Amino acid sequence: MKSLTLERVSFWYPATEAPALRDVSLEVVQGEVVALVGAVGAGASTVLLAAGDLAPRLTGGRIAGTVSRRDRSAIVLPTPWTQVSGMAFTVWDEVAFGPANLGWPTHEIARQVDRAMAHLELGPLATRDPATLSGGELQRVIIAATLAMDSGLVLFDEPAAELDAEGASALWRLIRLLAKEGKAVLLATSALDALPDVADRVVWLEDGAVRAVGTPDLLADVAACDAGLGTSVATVWGASGLPGPYPLTVAHAVRQWR
Amino acid sequence: MTGRRLHPFTLLAIAGALPALAWILPAPIGGACTAAVAFVLTLIPGARLTPGASPGFRGIGVSPGSRPGLVVFRTALLTAVPFWVFLRLLHDVPTTIAIGLRITTMVASFVWLAATLAPDRLVEATVARGWSVTAAYLFAATITAVPTLRDRARRIVEAQRCRGLSPRGSLGNRLRALRALALPLVLSALHDVDERALALETRGMVSGARRTPLAPPPDSAVERAARWALLAACVAALIWRFK
Repeated sequence: MKSLTLERVSFWYPATEAPALRDVSLEVVQGEVVALVGAVGAGASTVLLAAGDLAPRLTGGRIAGTVSRRDRSAIVLPTPWTQVSGMAFTVWDEVAFGPANLGWPTHEIARQVDRAMAHLELGPLATRDPATLSGGELQRVIIAATLAMDSGLVLFDEPAAELDAEGASALWRLIRLLAKEGKAVLLATSALDALPDVADRVVWLEDGAVRAVGTPDLLADVAACDAGLGTSVATVWGASGLPGPYPLTVAHAVRQWR
Repeated sequence: MTGRRLHPFTLLAIAGALPALAWILPAPIGGACTAAVAFVLTLIPGARLTPGASPGFRGIGVSPGSRPGLVVFRTALLTAVPFWVFLRLLHDVPTTIAIGLRITTMVASFVWLAATLAPDRLVEATVARGWSVTAAYLFAATITAVPTLRDRARRIVEAQRCRGLSPRGSLGNRLRALRALALPLVLSALHDVDERALALETRGMVSGARRTPLAPPPDSAVERAARWALLAACVAALIWRFK
């Protein structure tokens, strides 16, 4: 079942002539992870804002086309510091901030908060003051806070930007778990090497328009590699002058090499 | 009883009543008394920089072993001093003392409130009374804005110093340094506000939201009576002054 549909969406930020999005159409169904990739300024973050009903409602500007959402959405932005409520002095309270705003009964808030914190392995930090956490820890808290709201559509904007390699791996596993639980996930990321294991589909954005849509194999496409959007393995394969098709992952490269 | 243990409404009532009385009661004795009370409050060990305090006040630089009360007292004092200088430039000594004590009461009360009032407790208290969470957040965010911006300004000054900009020396130097401070301070604050608005919106803080109070602070009958007493004192002082 479709959770999000964008039909021919164009978007202009305030006081700009050039559109940030041009005729973008895409859909995300429940249980699916769709990754948005593109160069800086390609429009991936703007797609998330439009998908989350934040643009133009909060950002200003104007939109054309249709955005349909079946589920309530939640978004994780790249900088954790600006997402902290400032109204909570323990990690548990910070995670509970969103569910409390939804007016849920206390026992349901506690259940969702405990579940989200367990997902992110935040138990040992439960009583810590969010202001004393590192960037990576805080990003995990913000992700837990988003998950605790039990939204059907989860939007991630560079969620691994503040995480170390181990934290990022855990995050990618969590995103697959969310999809397995039936949530629709739309993800903007430059962590291209993770996508073969995480994404069901990849949408390549260029200058605010959709250039290509496909499986993660798209990241081994020659054109994608030339645009700097290939996986490391595909990019190195191409740069070394080896014949195509380019392998997507190390495992693919090994098979192809043999 | 420490400031942190008081109900947020009681803290607000005290911080509101002191400046009101400072302006209502005859100068300079009225202002002197209220200023003294406000400074004594800043010295109470409960007016502290511990978890649960206004988050921006963590930036005022408490070193290990220092007494938090003294830091709050010093902050109030240093914030009030420039007002005295300007007043003296504009007025004679009696007027400077009369207005200066009143302004000092306002400054010290606000600094004490910002150091004592935990925004989360204020939000919980107002939500428990059935008020809108957005109105409560707006008020709590205002309380924390000044120390937060001050902390940010300090970081910007340090960054600009690393780039060779000196905030000392001639007037021209200082003006250049001020511009190099003000521009990034304002722009970064605006950017943060933009992002925080998005984050709060997506976390359910929308107009008309009915938040579930997680741990509303207890409000005893004694505190409720004390708040009414403060209000009554202000009204009585007003009647006495204008009868």
